[in-house]
Amino acid sequence: MADDVWEQQRKDSWLRLLRSGDHQAFAQFIDKYKETVFLCCRGLGLSEDEVEDVASETFLAAYSGLSRYSGRAELSTWLWSIAYRQGINYLRKNRGQWQLEAEPDEQIAGSREQEPAAAAQGRETENIVWEAVERLPRLWAVAVILHYREEKSIADIAKIMQAKENTVKTYLFRAREKLKEILAAAFGEDIDVRK
Amino acid sequence: MFGSKSNEDKFDEMLGRALRRHSEPVPADFTGRMLRRIEEADEQKVLARVVLQERLALVGSIILGAAAIVVAVFFPGTVTGFFGSIVGSFTEQGGALIGRVPQAVEAFRGEWQFYTVMGAVFGFAVYSLLDLLLGDRLRIT
Repeated sequence: MADDVWEQQRKDSWLRLLRSGDHQAFAQFIDKYKETVFLCCRGLGLSEDEVEDVASETFLAAYSGLSRYSGRAELSTWLWSIAYRQGINYLRKNRGQWQLEAEPDEQIAGSREQEPAAAAQGRETENIVWEAVERLPRLWAVAVILHYREEKSIADIAKIMQAKENTVKTYLFRAREKLKEILAAAFGEDIDVRK
Repeated sequence: MFGSKSNEDKFDEMLGRALRRHSEPVPADFTGRMLRRIEEADEQKVLARVVLQERLALVGSIILGAAAIVVAVFFPGTVTGFFGSIVGSFTEQGGALIGRVPQAVEAFRGEWQFYTVMGAVFGFAVYSLLDLLLGDRLRIT
């Protein structure tokens, strides 16, 4: 109980520092969330250079928007929604023809044919799973990352993705089906016992 | 393979565990570069404010000169009366000065629009003058 109170006070004072524009506190903020932001951009299918650009824009937007952060949503949820918006805007601006709900482009999908079970052996499960997630349509991939990795609720995911909760549930359902299909091919019958 | 409920749960668990273990590579100096960009953005913001204040000061100086000419040309009587009453007020002693207050209020009521505009122009001009002379100490940072 006392630990919780202390933790909350520490968090509040850190937030106050962040809102006041303290660069040291913002450096900690970047360190804490940079991987999350890169992950969001990667989930949206951006290339390495694009990921860095969009992540930078995300943190700049967060820096100027921190004074308006009310604290109602979790800080990570708030940052995710900025990163997601920046990523989507980037895709819409630079790849007008891009269909966010369609499969990733042929080039990527073609270079990663269904992984035979033998090739998957000896590789880390997380790499194989991550590659499978990268093969999902972008919006499904983001929903999967948010739900399974970030452990966000459906309501939070809906807020981040500015979508209805039912839409998010549909993304997750379809993504799971597709992942089962991809991973079953990659792992063979071995998938249940992998830890 | 994932037909039953327990298999569904196992699949979810495996998915969650694998995704949580995944680490996304981030360039080593990303935080440093971001901080430099933020410092630059802050400097740009301060610079933009200073430029705005300089422009306001310049506009204020121009307006002050123009207003003085306009008032002298179009309202010579009012100006003479206004300054005359101020000078008169200062030269008279104690009670006489207080006695002139109702007169001053009456005069203000009669031409309050003129005095309001003049007050705003005067205030802006004073600010501009102070900004020109003591700019660095008045800057908003």
